[in-house]
Amino acid sequence: MALAEHIVMRELDVPDIANFDVYRKHGGYETYRTVLKEKAPSDIVQVVRDAGLRGRGGAGFPTGVKWSFLPKDVYPRYLVCNCDESEPGTFKDHQIIDLNPHQLIEGMAISAYAIESHTAYIFARGEFATAVRTLEYAIAQAYAAGILGKNILGTGYHLDMYVHRGAGAYICGEETALLEALEGRIGQPRLKPPFPAVSGLYGKPTIINNVETLANVPLIVERGADWYRSFGTTRSPGTKVFSLSGHVNRPGNYELPFGVPMRELIYSPEYGCGMRDDRPVKIIVPGGASSPWLLAKHLDVTLDYESMTAAGSMLGAGSMIVLNDTVSAPHAAYKMDEFFKHESCGKCTPCREGTHWLVRVLHRMTEEGHARPEDIPTLHSIYNQMAGNCFCLLGESAVTPIKSALSLFPQEFEDLVPQRNGRPMIALDAKR
Amino acid sequence: MLLEQHKADIDAIRSRYAERRSAVLPLLYIAQDVYGHLSDAAIREVAEILDLPPTDIFEVAGFYTLFYTREVGKWVIQVCDDVPCCYLGAEELITALKDTLGVKEDETTSDGMFTIQRVKCLAACHRAPVVQANLDYFYDVTADKVDALLHALRERAARGDTLSVSGHRAEDYEIAADGSAQMIERRLGPMPASPAVGAPVDHETSAGS
Repeated sequence: MALAEHIVMRELDVPDIANFDVYRKHGGYETYRTVLKEKAPSDIVQVVRDAGLRGRGGAGFPTGVKWSFLPKDVYPRYLVCNCDESEPGTFKDHQIIDLNPHQLIEGMAISAYAIESHTAYIFARGEFATAVRTLEYAIAQAYAAGILGKNILGTGYHLDMYVHRGAGAYICGEETALLEALEGRIGQPRLKPPFPAVSGLYGKPTIINNVETLANVPLIVERGADWYRSFGTTRSPGTKVFSLSGHVNRPGNYELPFGVPMRELIYSPEYGCGMRDDRPVKIIVPGGASSPWLLAKHLDVTLDYESMTAAGSMLGAGSMIVLNDTVSAPHAAYKMDEFFKHESCGKCTPCREGTHWLVRVLHRMTEEGHARPEDIPTLHSIYNQMAGNCFCLLGESAVTPIKSALSLFPQEFEDLVPQRNGRPMIALDAKR
Repeated sequence: MLLEQHKADIDAIRSRYAERRSAVLPLLYIAQDVYGHLSDAAIREVAEILDLPPTDIFEVAGFYTLFYTREVGKWVIQVCDDVPCCYLGAEELITALKDTLGVKEDETTSDGMFTIQRVKCLAACHRAPVVQANLDYFYDVTADKVDALLHALRERAARGDTLSVSGHRAEDYEIAADGSAQMIERRLGPMPASPAVGAPVDHETSAGS
């Protein structure tokens, strides 16, 4: 059942909410005003904690808990909004900025006050040139109205907000690689600990939150934790914007409370409207390219962090790619691992070499049609050498597509090896 | 030359950060627009403005995919070939582009107009296949829309639109049924005239009208 009222995709309830005046008319920035005039920063941290808001960038870590990791009495502190949305299948933050940018800015302003920060950056992926222009204009509107800048709304609080554009690198979604890019270096992750909350931008305490996470903050603060918890499940409270793509009739972003079965998202006439040409579901990638694959038999698994983990996958950023029976599992694994190979930053050997060899073997098997009998054990060997040995999660994520494909569709790999008289035939291609 | 031509922009960028190195990416974007691509001289110029070792700037320019260290066309056309685009027509689209323009991936047409590239996910998977041209988004670009896309881009180049390969003028487009490229408007409203310091919003009279 569709939400009567949206928390993030409010453009569906209030047409033209992207317009500054419309946003103001519908109570926009009033929560921020109340916060500045009547609340202490610790009150905001507490309500976000009580609401159980979990990070929407993929990890699902409780936001209020993250905020409470800041060391006492160390300043300045920075707030950074992670808008490096680049994982195949993910396109929610892009839409939030296009259609409801002021709610993000208000959420950032409240969050910056909560963590006692006076400088906030939005790190947007380089390809988001249009979204950057939208944000810069919306931020200028907020400055012009006295909502950002010095002595905000007469309270003495000051906050500056800037957009920093990346330049094309998925790895910058990893929070420490993001900080490297924000500091003007190549986007390679830092060793953790220390975590950014302790030592982040310029070595100062820094909180990094996803776009959707921050866009949830204004309504949580306005209406309280109990109201927020009336949506979703006990351990996954609230609503989530799910990005649905692939072979569905109506791909798009849909905001649902946590706990709705995948079947409803894919088949409901309010959301995905079923599969194209009524073909069957073959592969569900429920949380972006780094999430383990699920099958049609999992359609009744519900969309919340715990159920997805129990089913052997993960909710991630809620980016569901649904593929039908025309897709070859080895080829889908090849395309997804090609993504990780392209985006590997080159810092650590297991990821840099592992993704290279996975793609080389998979390319030969799928695109060139020269699979060899030893390719299958080779693939198992490569991903086993990567798993648990990479510097950051990018390399670990690259293990997922190939491991999923080999375990769920082993026969499709066997079938790629040419046979003669019932025995595998070794191809005599020039590229040996 | 960069510093003289864009002093106001560069000063504004520098004022945003506690450390000058943070200005590297924004300045490389400016240099790329001024010179068309990041030549060695352009990279050295950025290093000089920020008083940083040139090696550091070369490293950054080489790492990120949106910095072009070789000459590119007036339009850099980037086609997403990732899942799910690749299963919804991206491969056919790339083939059509290559056939129409007579170039391969990462090549530029002989008239210097178009460079075509395969790129990874552009975060608009619900409108696959997705293309960017100088970071303008074009949505739902199936192979049959190649001529319309190229025609729209050629027209804009002929009109003398100052093109920015770095995307400083980027907009979102759809290709309409009649083959024209329609800009998707940003609807943020006018810039507020004066700061509403301390004053509550008057819900009756303010805006929306």
